[in-house]
Amino acid sequence: MSARADAGGTPIEHYALLGDTRTAALVDPDGSVDWLCVPRFDGRPVFGRLVGGPAAGRFGLAPTRPIGLTSRSYRPGSVTLETTWSTDAGPLTLTEGMVTAVRGHLLPSTMLVRRLTAPEGPVEATIVFDPRLGEQNRSPRIHHRHRDRVLVCSWPTTAIGLMTTPHVHIDPGVSHRVTVSPDRPFTLVLTVADREPLTYVDPEAAWNALQRDEMGWRSWCRDIDPTLPRRDVVVRSLLTLRLLTYSPSGAPVAAPTTSLPEVLGGVRNWDYRYAWPRDASIGIAAFLGVGKHQEARAFLAWLLSATRLDRPHLPVLLTLYGKHPTPERELKNWPGYAASVPVRQGNGAADQHQLDGYGWVLDAAWLLTLAGHRLYSETWRTMAGFADSVAARWREPDAGIWEVRADLTQHVHSKLMAWLALDRALRIAAHHRTSARRTRRWTAARAELREEIMSCGYDPDKGSYVRSYGSEEVDAALLILPQLEFEEPSSPRVLGTLDAIVHDLDAGAPLLYRYAPGHDGLPGREGAFLPCSFWLVRALAESGRTAEATALFDDLIDLASPLGLYGEEMDPLTLHHLGNYPQALTHAALVQAALALKVADSP
Amino acid sequence: MDWAGWALFGLIATTVLTALMICAQLGGLSRLDLPLILGTVVTPDPDRARAAGFVIHLGVGQGFAAGYAACFAVLGQATWWVGALFGALHGAVALMVLVPLLVGVHPRMASNRAGLESTAVLEPPGLLGLNYGAQTPLVTFTAHVAYGTALGMLLSVH
Repeated sequence: MSARADAGGTPIEHYALLGDTRTAALVDPDGSVDWLCVPRFDGRPVFGRLVGGPAAGRFGLAPTRPIGLTSRSYRPGSVTLETTWSTDAGPLTLTEGMVTAVRGHLLPSTMLVRRLTAPEGPVEATIVFDPRLGEQNRSPRIHHRHRDRVLVCSWPTTAIGLMTTPHVHIDPGVSHRVTVSPDRPFTLVLTVADREPLTYVDPEAAWNALQRDEMGWRSWCRDIDPTLPRRDVVVRSLLTLRLLTYSPSGAPVAAPTTSLPEVLGGVRNWDYRYAWPRDASIGIAAFLGVGKHQEARAFLAWLLSATRLDRPHLPVLLTLYGKHPTPERELKNWPGYAASVPVRQGNGAADQHQLDGYGWVLDAAWLLTLAGHRLYSETWRTMAGFADSVAARWREPDAGIWEVRADLTQHVHSKLMAWLALDRALRIAAHHRTSARRTRRWTAARAELREEIMSCGYDPDKGSYVRSYGSEEVDAALLILPQLEFEEPSSPRVLGTLDAIVHDLDAGAPLLYRYAPGHDGLPGREGAFLPCSFWLVRALAESGRTAEATALFDDLIDLASPLGLYGEEMDPLTLHHLGNYPQALTHAALVQAALALKVADSP
Repeated sequence: MDWAGWALFGLIATTVLTALMICAQLGGLSRLDLPLILGTVVTPDPDRARAAGFVIHLGVGQGFAAGYAACFAVLGQATWWVGALFGALHGAVALMVLVPLLVGVHPRMASNRAGLESTAVLEPPGLLGLNYGAQTPLVTFTAHVAYGTALGMLLSVH
């Protein structure tokens, strides 16, 4: 049992994700919305119990006397959640979702629809609606409007409306009971307004909008490659990635939460409600691989727009609109998930220098080129600028992909990604106008990098590439070696590195630590890092060890949450998910692993 | 009204405005790129869009310059400071009214309500264009004041 579960709370992996591609909610198996930020992923929470405790608000809707949870799943090919409990009076089902397609309709941009049905007999349900805004858990001003049919909770710039059918008078923070009868479902719709008038939406109209939305999601899933291994799992990952893409700007949000802990009760609690160019690049590869070119191009468009003020420097992370995050700070008096404090807002990694990001971005641009998308001149100028930066700065130490604070060193993974950046820039340059002087500079830097990586980044005694120059430790980030074409995937040095990682960073198959535990200067021992396990699947598949890769992939699929979601990390002992949830990087790595297996299995 | 002045100096003032905004972009102050935004109404290619957008912007600038010339004629004076005042008003209207309205008419610009169905790729400007950087209101306002000042200095009242 996790500490949170011991304390009577909800394990992270038991949360379901609801979303509308602008913000997202997390719902526990008891029907309580414990996390919802408005009006965007990175906005202020109105329901924050997840990391803010009971004072931070929640929206509960469940049977008054449940016997147990009968089933809980997303409707196929959609993001609508269906939860059924058994009760003495018969089953009660909660169907819920957020409406994505609001453009062209008089609907608010944030709308959560929840419907209870009791097909076999009247069942009593309990509603607890207790919104609080932001860090101070501010209680709203309460109004009952529209002939008492709408509950309006308002703060200076934000308002929430709650409407029900049949009508029930609801007061925030108070437990209310309703009886759901077989012939009449009970529907609630929550609408949010931020710096705009609140829209009252009839619950029946909201329900119809949700059903229209569901058809839109099914249609979105329909053209995903039908030959993918474990297609259902991959589709869930793609749906999750799409839910975590902020549609107004195309930004990929790393996760919708802040400060879900990497160690229960520990201090490794970070704010992931930002967009990392690295994640955007990995997302481009994942979406391109399954034929979702529009989504891949949207990520590139965000990359180009968001980095405009920093070029040719590539920032580590940005806000959804491409700004630099506000300085990292701790939320006062927030108790954290399972007493894991501090709860942070902002992310201090934004100021780091990470060389590997350039490699991911240029590789994504190359993949787009390979897929037949000729880069616009401006896009190529941007990419070439990034390559120039790499050619000029590759000798400098950097913070590395794991963003360990105060770990400025010569990371081998970063050097490999710098090599990748130059290599891919040279490949793209063959198809786009580039000066000979520039290509000569990149070619020379690439050759120097290769020589230095081969001599300083490889430990002949260990038979493996290592974490940093002179180190004897390995780094799970090196699992990307087979995909770089830096060396033959089946070369002894690559295979030796894979074996060394599996041996040294083993967290109990199929899990891996990302680096030797405890080597990051923070107290406590973090969990196994899930994307690395999926990278291992890909590495094994690409180096010809397909049977091992398939078995590992299947084992990893078994570790998904009951709803097919993944966090960033996993406790190797309890197999509980850790870290911000659900995590886009893990889901993108899963998709790429499936794509690698498909290629490996094809004749 | 000073028609000859309008024909020539409208172009010059709009070019000054555009140049200032491009300088602000190059200086890392704002991501607001008016030629790109206007040009992507007709083409998705950023380079072609900038060329088309510049021409569209010149046309729009000429339209506004006609308004300035008419106002100067009504007031019976065209001075740099009256032009600057008009420019300040123009900048405020552009930031608070014109730029936010683009979301409703631009075929390639997303809105804050964009969802799964959205194929738009240009991010919305947001209130005062703040989505394009914190300095955007200042840059836009200053550029429009410069536009008005230029017209106030160059146009005459006939």
